[in-house]
Amino acid sequence: MTTALERRRLSLWTRIAVLTLFGVVMVFPFAWMILSSLKTKAELMDTSAFFPAAPQWSNYVQAALHSPLPRYVWNSVFISVLTVAYQLVSGMLFAYAMAIMTFRGRGMLFALVLVSYMIPSAATYIPAYVVLSRMRLLDTFAGLVVSNLVSIFGIFLLRQAFMQVPRPMIESAKLDRASHLQILLYVVCPLAKPSLISFALISSIACYNNYMWPSLITNAPERYLVSQGLRHFFIEGGAYGTDWAMVMAGSALTVMPLLLVFAFAQNGLLSGISSTAGIKG
Amino acid sequence: MNYPIRSLNETQVGGRGYRIMPTRQRIRGLVEILLFIAPAMIPLIVFWVYPIVRTIAISFTDWDYMTPSYHIVGLRNYVTLLKSSAFSSALNHTLTLCVSSAAFTIVGGLLLSLLLFNAFRGVGLYKALVFSPWITPTVAVSLVWMWIFDPDHGIANAILRWFHLPGSKWMASSQTAMICVIIVTVWKSMGYASIFYLTALEKVPKSLYEASSLDGANVFQQFLHITLSGVSPTTFFLVVVTTINGLQAYDQIQILTQGGPAGSTRTLLYLYYQLGFQQFKMGEATAAAVALLVIVVAFTGAQNEISKRLVTY
Repeated sequence: MTTALERRRLSLWTRIAVLTLFGVVMVFPFAWMILSSLKTKAELMDTSAFFPAAPQWSNYVQAALHSPLPRYVWNSVFISVLTVAYQLVSGMLFAYAMAIMTFRGRGMLFALVLVSYMIPSAATYIPAYVVLSRMRLLDTFAGLVVSNLVSIFGIFLLRQAFMQVPRPMIESAKLDRASHLQILLYVVCPLAKPSLISFALISSIACYNNYMWPSLITNAPERYLVSQGLRHFFIEGGAYGTDWAMVMAGSALTVMPLLLVFAFAQNGLLSGISSTAGIKG
Repeated sequence: MNYPIRSLNETQVGGRGYRIMPTRQRIRGLVEILLFIAPAMIPLIVFWVYPIVRTIAISFTDWDYMTPSYHIVGLRNYVTLLKSSAFSSALNHTLTLCVSSAAFTIVGGLLLSLLLFNAFRGVGLYKALVFSPWITPTVAVSLVWMWIFDPDHGIANAILRWFHLPGSKWMASSQTAMICVIIVTVWKSMGYASIFYLTALEKVPKSLYEASSLDGANVFQQFLHITLSGVSPTTFFLVVVTTINGLQAYDQIQILTQGGPAGSTRTLLYLYYQLGFQQFKMGEATAAAVALLVIVVAFTGAQNEISKRLVTY
């Protein structure tokens, strides 16, 4: 008995040790970002100085007040809100049509969406660039939103959720002569609320983090999204050259809003993300 | 329910039969369907379906973006691409990145979830901790990794020196640059993988473990036959997701190495970017995009076939 107990204790302690090691490795880049952002130039160059002797909060003041970074963050938030709002509405309507309405060609339409889901978005970039330039929307906020109005992932997630709505509830609403829009708004949406919330969260994060496509269609620095702005301003010989303390402070300020959102919405986000397994698998 | 309720009587007085569909009503129904579909369908056609068709069409031309005219050149772009060493090395790098990032992410994610499963209180916080790299902007965290890997002043080499190991040039050397890209990619996605495995582990029936230990199975046999086969749908899902993410990796490459040094981290997607948006060789770029497309579709198709046969649901 004692040996079994001891063995269990030992295995628990190995478990904790390995988990701690994993945790330290995972968190280290964030910790190093914060530590580096608070150092002086001399401390940065001296690798034996692990902690800053006196935290240089002025780096944050500089990055937050005397750099275009807040503007980039604002651009990203603004574009994300507009994009996700439209994605929610269009995704809701389309998913409803796919899950609940019946009409000829529905299967084919859904197959088309299914195929689009597999395609790497980069394969659309060159012609999409030309389309945007014909619409005279290159290098505009409108172009950033317009080219990203549909989330195929969202359609899948919502369709999945809408199909879980008990059929009798929809049928009885129909008998009560509710229109499709009324059924969507008053029967389906309240039941699918967790999925709607996870979709909004996941999509907002994706929009905020988006880099490749926005950087291809945006030229003017005042319209940069946060990732492109961060890279341009701090790395590409911006006002500071490669002042690593500033780069780290800027990165920290960029990452912070996301970690805050995540801290508050962790459960909705994680359950939404786990439920995506059923979509592709 | 909040929608306005009309009595059944009223409906009958209105005289509109439930199953009979007069033409006017059929048109109304059609318009309603269109109104539901159009808000997603129009942007989808303009920015997804049409561009994909167009990409394939451009890949058979010598269009250079600057001049409006172009000629149809048949398969020439594909031949040029297949013959070029840039393409074959890009294919190689793509394969290296996909396979190693998928393998490390999945093995690490499974290990992490096994350690976390039924562990102790505070698991929620730990889960949040290891998951956070997934949601943070790749550009921002790649900048941090770039600073960590800095050959002269980075902490990575400082740590190696503490252990009396020789320092590395990391991203500055074509020998190690890809390793840096892989480390960042795995770091970003491992917590994500473990979240899926945790959900899957919870679904493996406990009774299987009890029954098999009565039958004298050891821990290793249990792991192989119960745990691994129980989570196999998740493993398949993660193989697809991590491989497709690897195929589409751009942000970390753009920040850390820009495809260099000496093209050692130039993947197929990065080659596409350089051909199309730096050299304006639209024909070759779109041909590379079509190659990427074919790989993704073939891979997904193969995965579906294999999972039908192998995965135990």
